[in-house]
Amino acid sequence: MQTTSISPHVVETTGLTKRFGDRTVVRDVELRVPRGSAFGYLGPNGAGKTTLIRMLLGLTPATSGSMRLLGLPVPAERARALARVGAIVEEPRFHGHLSGRDNLRVVAAARGPEAAARIDASLERVGLAARADDRVKTYSLGMKQRLGIARCLLADPELLILDEPMNGLDPAGILEFRGFVRSFVEEGRTIVLSSHLLDEVERTCDHVAIVDGGTIVAQGSIDELRGSGHVVFVETDDRERARSVLAASSAVERVVDDGSVLAVSVLDPHVVADLNRRLVEAGVAVRRLEPQQASLEQRFLEITTRLENAA
Amino acid sequence: MTAHALSMPRLVSADILKLRKNRSLAAVTALLTIGAVAITVTIMEIMHVVNPAKHGPVGGVNNLGHFASLIGLLGAAAAAIVGSRVGAGDKDAGVYRDLVVTGRSRTSLYLSRIPGGAAFLLPFVAAAYALAAVTSTALSGSLPAPDARLLAVTGLWTVLDVAFFYVLSVAVAALLGSRSYAIGVVLAFRLAITPVVASISALGIVRELMPSVAIESLVPTALGDSARMGPHIPMSTGAVAGVLVAWALVAVALAGWRDVSRDA
Repeated sequence: MQTTSISPHVVETTGLTKRFGDRTVVRDVELRVPRGSAFGYLGPNGAGKTTLIRMLLGLTPATSGSMRLLGLPVPAERARALARVGAIVEEPRFHGHLSGRDNLRVVAAARGPEAAARIDASLERVGLAARADDRVKTYSLGMKQRLGIARCLLADPELLILDEPMNGLDPAGILEFRGFVRSFVEEGRTIVLSSHLLDEVERTCDHVAIVDGGTIVAQGSIDELRGSGHVVFVETDDRERARSVLAASSAVERVVDDGSVLAVSVLDPHVVADLNRRLVEAGVAVRRLEPQQASLEQRFLEITTRLENAA
Repeated sequence: MTAHALSMPRLVSADILKLRKNRSLAAVTALLTIGAVAITVTIMEIMHVVNPAKHGPVGGVNNLGHFASLIGLLGAAAAAIVGSRVGAGDKDAGVYRDLVVTGRSRTSLYLSRIPGGAAFLLPFVAAAYALAAVTSTALSGSLPAPDARLLAVTGLWTVLDVAFFYVLSVAVAALLGSRSYAIGVVLAFRLAITPVVASISALGIVRELMPSVAIESLVPTALGDSARMGPHIPMSTGAVAGVLVAWALVAVALAGWRDVSRDA
């Protein structure tokens, strides 16, 4: 696949802000999306994810800040940048009275003759070739999502921006969609996927930005974000005593008692044996000691809890 | 020539495709144009055959004027329906943003719609007028039949009438971003506001600023009042052209500005 620029980041924003009246929806966003990655833009509903996407695509102007897509400044070089970008904003919408193929013809007319030549291959790629001449109003939501992907592929995109693509899909549809994302990344394309589903982002993406209240609160690879924290579950007869012993260790960040098990946050997973020795030496009988890598969900909750406490 | 200018025919074709594949839109447009003339001719012919002493022939110059007026009136309704679909159809379907994210300029997306819709609508109007012209000539009986020049001039006048309200409908729909509101506004303007304003003689020259008044002043003299709905208000051809061009330019430019400046 030919690329538009050699920039290592396909999306770069600096101080990007969007206000609607007095309400700031996107605040000073500094986003860096590495080329060739599946990038999750993760945050709760109302965090400003769709607004950021709409600014990147030129659907709404930014109040302040700057953006680059595929190394090109937007909106100054919007047409050149978007020529190699495919996007689904909110849910995919089509002319219901037209067939899937005709809907792609309409978009291809706006993109150019190369796009028109890709219609059949795109429909084939998403498994809609057999239903391509049926009216879209007879399609299921999953088929519309696939047609939305086919519409993106008309651009032979370097970058695909998908806004909450898993919304409303059944488990089979989600699995299929995840497969599309991974296959596109393997082809060297970059996927930006906004979602409020932590688990889905963790399964599908390799990089993530966590957004809350319009601001990016953490950004990096999935491993970086969850890797700094490991949790060891400890089950004992005497949780109070175990808690004080563990809290005294410099390797331990935090001990949380959930009523039956202690969740011990540690920086280094290799300290488990040392923790066990300390407990035994303190006379605490250990029934269970289970190291577990922290999930993105735990990190997300830690970060947002910290922010709430700071507020 | 820019790449965007070169791709304009593709955008126009895409707009025609969207309209052509809409069967209910095609049916309504056909009914309001060709159907209206066909039904009228059929009823008039039956009445003439049943009672020729009371009901004269269907054809003739006078009836050509009635047919042209009918096409202008119902054609304006068709123009409002088609024009509003063209002006706000992509937004109503939710696909406008998908066209914008192709990188295509909003101006070219907007301007391509106008010829696309015209290419869909005007053949229906032309066919309706062709039926009216053939009927007026072939079934004139004892009445004077229209000559070729009158047929041509009346045809151009009819197409101008419908085409103007089509352009106005596209602009109003793009401005409001809503098909239903646009249809209501254009039909109210054409069928209610204009006749009321035209009938208030105290308004003087202000009446000449109404597009329908300007268009009706171009009715061929040979047709008399048969093609006219309101009072005859004479205007020079230059003044008519000025009024129509000003209305069209202001409406198209205002809607284009709104289309470009609002969130997609």
